[in-house]
Amino acid sequence: MKYEPQAGAVKLTMLLSGTVFLLMMIFGLVLRASQGNFIELDPAIFYQILTAHGAGMVGSAALSGGAIMWYFVGKYTKLNPVIYWLFLGLFLAGVVLILGSVFIGEYGGAWTFLFPLPAISGGAWGVEAAVIFCLGYVLIGVGFLLYYLEMGYRIGKKYNGFSGALGWRYIVNGDLEKAPPPTVIAAASVIIFNSTGIIFGAIVLVASIVNLLLPEFAVDALLAKNAIYFFGHVFVNATIYMAVTAVYEIIPEYTGKPWKTSRLFAIGWALVVVFVQLVYFHHVLQDLVMPAWMLALGQIMSYASGIPLIGITTFSLCVYIKGSGMKWDLTSKLLVLSVAGWTIGSIPAVIDGMIAVNKVMHNTLWVPGHFHTYLLLGEVAMAFGFSVWLVRGKAKKTANNLLERLTFNIYALGGFGFILVFLWSGASSIPRRWAVHLEEWHFHSQIGTVFAVGVVLATAVLVMIYTAGLVRRETKK
Amino acid sequence: MKILVVGFAFVLSLVAQIWVAEDPVIHVLVQFPLLVFVGYCLASGMRIQQIFMGPLLVLAVAAILFWMLPRTLDAILTEWGMFIAKFVLLPLTVGVPLALCWRHLNPVVRGFVKAQAISMLGILGFLYTHAPVRICNSYLLDDQVRLGYGFFLVVVGLSIVWTIPVFIGDRHEMEKNTPSRSVEIS
Repeated sequence: MKYEPQAGAVKLTMLLSGTVFLLMMIFGLVLRASQGNFIELDPAIFYQILTAHGAGMVGSAALSGGAIMWYFVGKYTKLNPVIYWLFLGLFLAGVVLILGSVFIGEYGGAWTFLFPLPAISGGAWGVEAAVIFCLGYVLIGVGFLLYYLEMGYRIGKKYNGFSGALGWRYIVNGDLEKAPPPTVIAAASVIIFNSTGIIFGAIVLVASIVNLLLPEFAVDALLAKNAIYFFGHVFVNATIYMAVTAVYEIIPEYTGKPWKTSRLFAIGWALVVVFVQLVYFHHVLQDLVMPAWMLALGQIMSYASGIPLIGITTFSLCVYIKGSGMKWDLTSKLLVLSVAGWTIGSIPAVIDGMIAVNKVMHNTLWVPGHFHTYLLLGEVAMAFGFSVWLVRGKAKKTANNLLERLTFNIYALGGFGFILVFLWSGASSIPRRWAVHLEEWHFHSQIGTVFAVGVVLATAVLVMIYTAGLVRRETKK
Repeated sequence: MKILVVGFAFVLSLVAQIWVAEDPVIHVLVQFPLLVFVGYCLASGMRIQQIFMGPLLVLAVAAILFWMLPRTLDAILTEWGMFIAKFVLLPLTVGVPLALCWRHLNPVVRGFVKAQAISMLGILGFLYTHAPVRICNSYLLDDQVRLGYGFFLVVVGLSIVWTIPVFIGDRHEMEKNTPSRSVEIS
């Protein structure tokens, strides 16, 4: 019998994430259609939808990534299911607060809640809405903190501290027998950098709440920006680093070769722990009052952070696939696409991480081009790849299902088209986060909208495939 | 030996009293921890029933919250009752409960309290460095800012002290058995 750690909770989570992904994509489609002048949208509504789209996408990416990592870490050590349900409950409570603040309180200050925007809405939303939005984040943060504490305690105990779980001890002594598996190394790394990010996030969130309620407590704007982007950057990246455990665990079923821990792999992840925390400086390259060394570090880290990713995951994946006679079904295609999307998505980030480029590109659609590659073709593809595998496992033979082939092709084609339009628009200096676009920019957004329709349709089919698989499996039981 | 340590810490807290009226850093970050340490040492080694662990933790956290209130700090400096209560209740309502429950708490709860302590001290650091008015009537604005930076230093210190053991681990606790394979609750 296939081992399925806490599969019920994980399946429910993937269903929730998949549904929210679809809804948020529809929101994104509406935004692009509005920018392309296909539909008319009141700017206030545009910013509310933009806020919900950003927060919802990051949230569901984190939720699905968390579920995937919990499932696979559970193969190596016992995890307390109560903590998972607490995590899920706090997460959903946070989502309720965020949605309430956006659609009832009309909060539209973007998912980044960048100080002082939540407090100076110009009457577009009330202080209460902004406070409730921040409280929603706090609840999600507390849920994740509990999740990481439980997982960290278990793997720390099993691998004799984090130096063991991270594979650092193995790097030194080379004892492969006691080396942790790739999934555990990834989990230990994420626990370290995302717990740090969440603690910083908690500080700046409460500081923002105090400022909202008592405006006399003015937050230092530069300090707040640093804390927010440290938290935000680390949190978004963690979603992918959690979900990549699906690649480490599922791809070997297809290639027949286990994804082994090597010294290079452990060193790569050790670098990830450092780089992920230092790379956020590229979000403040336009803040000229920042110390020069920090900005230089931001550029260097932007260059460097892609190396471990390409070195330890992309290159290894290519090596494992080569000559393996791997069967290509929906799961394997989505997982390989996800690593490709993740890798390709790092290129626009590196370009934008150059100070000279950043000056003119950072506030253009180039940046959404980068992070949509990371998420749409990276994390989301990983999540759906995992979901399909979860409900039906590896296909017995190379899948020839027309619907699935069509779905995958439309998802990949639509996704690449969608992000290429963003990058093209960015290179043409079209600004991001603008509700109303000039007539000259409409054509870009219109093409983007067409590709977005393809992605939304393909995603709807993916959610249906997962739900159908879920129902079939439950009925069989 | 324990009595000596407790006595020495208590005497130090009394000596610190010389400066507490003019320096909130000494008051909050030196004298308070010393008094908590006194209570912690007094009760260390004692055992109580498991059922009291939760309430004791709640008592300790609630007492910390109370003694950290700016209004409480003012009252300590102006009212004799509060002045004496500080020396009695900080050891008894914070140090003693912590000593009785801390080691027996679930590790996840311990980690959660530590993470909360770090983030809340960071928030206090923010409040004390950014407040446009004097939060405590008894202390000057500059002293208040110094206390804020003191909180940030404590955050750094605690982060280091609490993180290092996580990396080192405990060889005796290492599970030697093969990976466990069942947590299914589907």
